Amino acid sequence: MNRRDYLLRKFGLSLVTILVVVIINFLLFRVLPGDPVRSVIGRNVRISAETQKALREQFGLDKPVFPDQFFDTLGQWARGNLGISWSLRRPVSEILISKLGNTLLLIGLGQILAIIFGVLLGLLAGWKRKTAIDVGALTFSLIAWAIPTFWLGIILLAAGSTWLGLPTGGIVSPANTGKPLHTVIPDLARHLILPTLTLTILYLGEYMLIMRSSILEVLSEDYILTAKAKGMSHWQVLRKHALKNAMLPIVTLIALNLGFTVSGAIYIETVFSYDGLGKLFQTALTKQDYPLLQGAFLLLAISVIVANMIADLLYTYLDPRIKAT
Amino acid sequence: MRNKQLFYGILVILALLLAACGGATQAPVEAPAVEEPAAEEPAAEEPAAEEPAAEEPAGEVVLNMGMQGKPDTLNPAYAFLTESYTVFDLIYSPLTTEAPTGEYVGGLAKEWSVSEDGLTWTFTLKDNIKWHNGEALTADQVAWAIDAVIADPDGWAAMSGYVGGFSEVTAPDDKTVQVVTESPIANMEYRLSFLYAVYPPDFEVFTTPEDLQNFTNFEAIGTGPFKINTFDKDTGVLILDANADYFDGAPKLDRVIMQTFDNADAMIQALKVGDIDLINELPASAFTTVQGYEGVSTISYPGRYFNELIINSVDPANDPAPTGNPALADPAVRLAIETAINRQDIVDIVLQGLATVGDTIVPPTLGGGFWHNPNIQRVEFNLEEASRILEEAGYVAGSDGVRTKDDMRLEFRLQFPSDNTVYPRMADMIADWFNQAGMKVNPEAVDPDALVAATTPAGDYDLVLWGWGPDPDPDFILSVMTTDQFVDGGWSDSGYHNPEYDQMYLDQQLLVDDKERQAVIWEMQEMVYSDRPYIVLYYENLLQAYRSDRFTGFVESPLGIEIGLSMINVEPVQ
Repeated sequence: MNRRDYLLRKFGLSLVTILVVVIINFLLFRVLPGDPVRSVIGRNVRISAETQKALREQFGLDKPVFPDQFFDTLGQWARGNLGISWSLRRPVSEILISKLGNTLLLIGLGQILAIIFGVLLGLLAGWKRKTAIDVGALTFSLIAWAIPTFWLGIILLAAGSTWLGLPTGGIVSPANTGKPLHTVIPDLARHLILPTLTLTILYLGEYMLIMRSSILEVLSEDYILTAKAKGMSHWQVLRKHALKNAMLPIVTLIALNLGFTVSGAIYIETVFSYDGLGKLFQTALTKQDYPLLQGAFLLLAISVIVANMIADLLYTYLDPRIKAT
Repeated sequence: MRNKQLFYGILVILALLLAACGGATQAPVEAPAVEEPAAEEPAAEEPAAEEPAAEEPAGEVVLNMGMQGKPDTLNPAYAFLTESYTVFDLIYSPLTTEAPTGEYVGGLAKEWSVSEDGLTWTFTLKDNIKWHNGEALTADQVAWAIDAVIADPDGWAAMSGYVGGFSEVTAPDDKTVQVVTESPIANMEYRLSFLYAVYPPDFEVFTTPEDLQNFTNFEAIGTGPFKINTFDKDTGVLILDANADYFDGAPKLDRVIMQTFDNADAMIQALKVGDIDLINELPASAFTTVQGYEGVSTISYPGRYFNELIINSVDPANDPAPTGNPALADPAVRLAIETAINRQDIVDIVLQGLATVGDTIVPPTLGGGFWHNPNIQRVEFNLEEASRILEEAGYVAGSDGVRTKDDMRLEFRLQFPSDNTVYPRMADMIADWFNQAGMKVNPEAVDPDALVAATTPAGDYDLVLWGWGPDPDPDFILSVMTTDQFVDGGWSDSGYHNPEYDQMYLDQQLLVDDKERQAVIWEMQEMVYSDRPYIVLYYENLLQAYRSDRFTGFVESPLGIEIGLSMINVEPVQ
């Protein structure tokens, strides 16, 4: 099978997966207990039963879930329209796009830093196995990996705002609200420090541990011994022979993590009142805002599937032993 | 060679990562140099951020407020969250408005009167009222805003509840607004206080209810003491400027900035370090901590919310048939239940004293205390007495200590919404007391939506712990007990059905004379209290906090210190 066929097949399979996800999501949200109209209006507002009925009709909830609601939704999506959020009363696609940028910024930064420091630390620990550096790095990584997100976030927030005067939440200071982000970069950066740091610490441990065990495995291979026997320096062995093989598991991990990245770091976004996708998912779910939920989960499904596809493809490049079949 | 390609590939990726990392680490390094201007809140439109911003009182007086939610919309037609109403109160003016004392005073209206037959209300507008864009407000516009709600109740979903029984609103001359109703309306001033005068040109363009509701009105034009400078729909940050032309006098603050925190601990930390100056909803769990902060004052003021134990009172003939324990229909069992609850302990232990013991469904804070019946003889907590009542009614303890009579066994489900941290502890205490009186309860946390479905109109429960936040006027909370409301989408959860009560509910709506209406409402409270569809446990206090080292002049009331009538008094500490 040549590469083009392989790609086409992968792509086709991904489309089928997305379709299945769409159908499951559609049904899943509708079997949740409760009434979306009630969720949107809350309990304490004076809305008569008639008004609720009118809203229900407007949302199309008076029609049977299948086939009416289902095909209405599919038809809308086929026309490229994700609908209008019931609770926010704005087009779902517009809402998703506005949050996506923020989330990618935060998670992207955090992931990149975590990858770099995690990989370097893992390499160092593996290379200097059974030294104080190794034990120290290992202990740190295990702790970082095990710390509850919420707890670490709130501790860093309290410390950072008390001693360093860093902001307690948001993306920019209220005074800079509404300005394009690139005009307020210093302010944006100050707001990003704490959430990024939290995210970096949390992910760093995972990368470090995988990298360390991967490099240890590679270093015990015969070809490393051969390379050493040929008189190559430590650095040459590491660079020419060990590193590229040891990177394989990390690539998988990166691709998988990036996929889930789009779901946002709900905890971190909540602690730092960061306006991203993770928070949006939570709001949509508590409000039972079906159009918003469906749109959000579609985006999430697509990003996870695409990330997996990229991981698969990268693998065929990185490891010649894996044939594109 | 394949391997060579691979190696360069990785190098490129690493180089990209490093480059991105460089960008990332650079930014924070840069930050301290510009930290000063960024940390303060210079005027949003002032580009001169270079000067080190002075402490606020010297320059612009800005009050920062932290909230745990954000307005869903600024369109009063379709706003459901309290945060939206907090904003409306600052930017819009209705004809009448509730004062901190609980009385209604003039908003746009200077004075008003009602005709002999109670069907025509005539309001005279104050002088020199201007919209935020500088145009003069006319009586026609005020009338239009209310008529629009009457004409399209589906579109104006959030306001249509207030115009029931209105036939039309007219403007006989430029200073007069007349409201004509089908029958006398007792709580006219209260109703008008939620019928904001919206700017007609912004709203006239919508032809369908859906279009109207999809209008988010983020640049709302009103006549209130503050006007919108910027509203960021995504983060919920709202910058309000003082309205120097406000008809009741310009506010002493220059600007109010509202910002949203998704996490209560972060919000409290922000108050501690001075990022914000006011928290309008302080979590009870944090109250004592915040009390200890330097430069911060806390407020614990009797509020409107109450919490109750709901006893299944659904008519057995209801469709679907209720599943409540039939013993709950026995007044003796209901009395025993109330006797076995120590409200004071709940307040002291679970709520750390930040509440007051309750009895009727009309909290003492409504209308400044005017509507609450103070003569109700509350049943005192007494476990022996509870046992005695049950014994006398023929409920005999079995071998497991649970009382039974015929085939009725005093074992109940006790459900509560899972989104509240207070109820589980209360449920445990109640289970313990009931146990000592020979009744068994099985506490269970339930998803709030599932609980709505189980109560209304299914009646599939025994006992439920829940709460209400009544409107300022007692009409709403009284309606919750009417038979009509026990329908899909209705507000009754107890299923209380009492034709006499229903009739009195309709009667009080027509009594324009407050004293006469009060008498009926007192009697209705008496009725609910002794029939016990609800056992009202306590009235929650309103918990707020502000930086008293920076601001003074807040007016404390059940309405909160963030309402317009309080905020126009706030000034910086000298």
